[in-house]
Amino acid sequence: MSDGGSSLIGEFLQGESEPPSSWVLLVLGFVSTIIFLILYGILFPNSDLPVISTVLPVFDGVFDSGIWFFILGAMIGVFAILGTMLTEATSE
Amino acid sequence: MTIFWATTFVVFFLLNRGIWIFTDVSKSLSMFMLEKALGPPIDFVEGRNGAASTTWIIQGALWLIPASILTFCGLWLQHDPDALHSLSSWGLSPSSSSLILAGILTASYGSGGMLLNGAAMHIVPELGGTKLASEKNASLMSLIWTLAVVVLIIGANKPEILGIKVLLIATGLLLLSGLAVIVNMLLTAASRSRKMPLPAWMMIIGMIAGPLSAVSVVISGSLDTGTGQWLATRLSASSFSLMVAGAVLYAASRGSGNPLWSRSLAAVTLAGTILTINSGGFFDGEVAANFLGVDSAAFQPSRNEVIAGSFLLALSLIPAIALSANVLATMRGDDVFMENPDSPGMPEINLAAIMLVPLSIGALFVHTDHLTGTNQFTEIQTTLLLMGVWLIFVPASLGSTLCIFPEVSGRNVLSVNRSRWAFWLMTAGSFGLIFTMMSDFSEMSLAEVSVEEQAPISNRLKVLGSILFYGTVIGSIYHCLNMISGSFRGSIVGDDSASVSSTSISSPFRLTKETTVRKILAQREGKLDTVVIPEKTTEAPGSPTEL
Repeated sequence: MSDGGSSLIGEFLQGESEPPSSWVLLVLGFVSTIIFLILYGILFPNSDLPVISTVLPVFDGVFDSGIWFFILGAMIGVFAILGTMLTEATSE
Repeated sequence: MTIFWATTFVVFFLLNRGIWIFTDVSKSLSMFMLEKALGPPIDFVEGRNGAASTTWIIQGALWLIPASILTFCGLWLQHDPDALHSLSSWGLSPSSSSLILAGILTASYGSGGMLLNGAAMHIVPELGGTKLASEKNASLMSLIWTLAVVVLIIGANKPEILGIKVLLIATGLLLLSGLAVIVNMLLTAASRSRKMPLPAWMMIIGMIAGPLSAVSVVISGSLDTGTGQWLATRLSASSFSLMVAGAVLYAASRGSGNPLWSRSLAAVTLAGTILTINSGGFFDGEVAANFLGVDSAAFQPSRNEVIAGSFLLALSLIPAIALSANVLATMRGDDVFMENPDSPGMPEINLAAIMLVPLSIGALFVHTDHLTGTNQFTEIQTTLLLMGVWLIFVPASLGSTLCIFPEVSGRNVLSVNRSRWAFWLMTAGSFGLIFTMMSDFSEMSLAEVSVEEQAPISNRLKVLGSILFYGTVIGSIYHCLNMISGSFRGSIVGDDSASVSSTSISSPFRLTKETTVRKILAQREGKLDTVVIPEKTTEAPGSPTEL
């Protein structure tokens, strides 16, 4: 069957022209986020984060059981199938 | 039971002999009803060869995901009843039992039912040497069946909406779609060009047995009694069992490249499943009552009914053992091991055939316990039913269709490797139900000694069982991805360009013993230009190569 073929073509939504040094940007983004959070904690101690602190309470009582992590995983799977169907149908 | 037997044999007789002079009239009228009478909607679906089967199989595979998710959530709620309480803000209050019921119904009708109907749409024409009477109608009916499964899920969680019994609506939709498929199958069988082998008859009679069982119970006047409702459940299980038997017998032979091991055992399976009381499916008749829109009655069988029921239940082991033996012997052929154990579908069929006998024996014990009113095993009924669904019914129907899928869609599944992973995930997940059953036994023991508090070990086992079952969810997602991607860009079946000769030459088929051309072709790599190299061993001492 097409075990070899599938690895050559790529499964779905796979960037094939990714620059090899793109990981540098990802690391820089991660480090700057951490620095920002630390600085915010020092400059505005005991203050909630803007925007995030107002959004999070919306999910209060929703993710209070471990089952939601499993459901989240299943939802990712369902969206993977939807993504596969869309990309397979629209690819040439 | 007698009415069911009589009507089944009358239907079988009529199928073989025709309906006297009305045969031609009924054929043309049925064909008109299947296509022209439906008007414009029939033009929205594809009519190419194999389209109907592919449509049913893909939808059946997709239903595996909701079925496994609903079952997983139901199992989780057994040890954490408030886990989904936040859904109450949407007006939903799912309980463990309602979710498990929805999961079982989705797996039975959505997944298994659609996969088996899709398989039948390939098997019956193939074995009859003909084409499906109406591909378009069959494709269209798959949408109605899918709608019926959606209604089933709603009905399992909310049996009555605005005074309307939701499951009765689902029955109507299933009947509408099912009757169209049955007529389609009968027209196909009528145009057969050769004698049809038993697996095709099993599938046709299995389809007909479903509605026939309900009609038999209504005619006998026992629909509103507990015994009648229990019998209706048992007879509908026979319907599913016949379809599964037909599909696995065909797929075991086709997938392994071996001829069917025993026609006699296949005949025993067919006749035995009709003549005995099947031990598969729900243990009580409540679901059958809900399906038929009547009030559930208390199950109080008379002494004679208990004796006759126990006897016919015990006899149901004969067709189960016959089917299991026939499938396993067919897959192994004339040697000990399966020649293509990794081919998609084969491991699933193997698992179902192996698990059929032990789980049937287990179900027999629990049924007899229920029938005699002892009710000592009531606690394990749900778990045993789930094991039957996820270790026999789903693997058998999914495995059969995975074997058939390349023939109907024209393409192989995308990756054998992913298919193998999906099998192991689903199997490991389903075996997690053993922990749930251990927990049930633990609770039974505590109830026996009148301990009121729930034991921590029982709860922990339930946690383990539900978490392990998540493997089934992931496995079903893997299978779906594999089939959907395969239907778009899997290697084309029978395409010469796909079987590059260099592949055959670089990895030739090594012949270690005598074999047939059919077996070589059954190894999916095998093509007409496959290089066959005999392996030779000799006792002669070595000597310098002559130049």
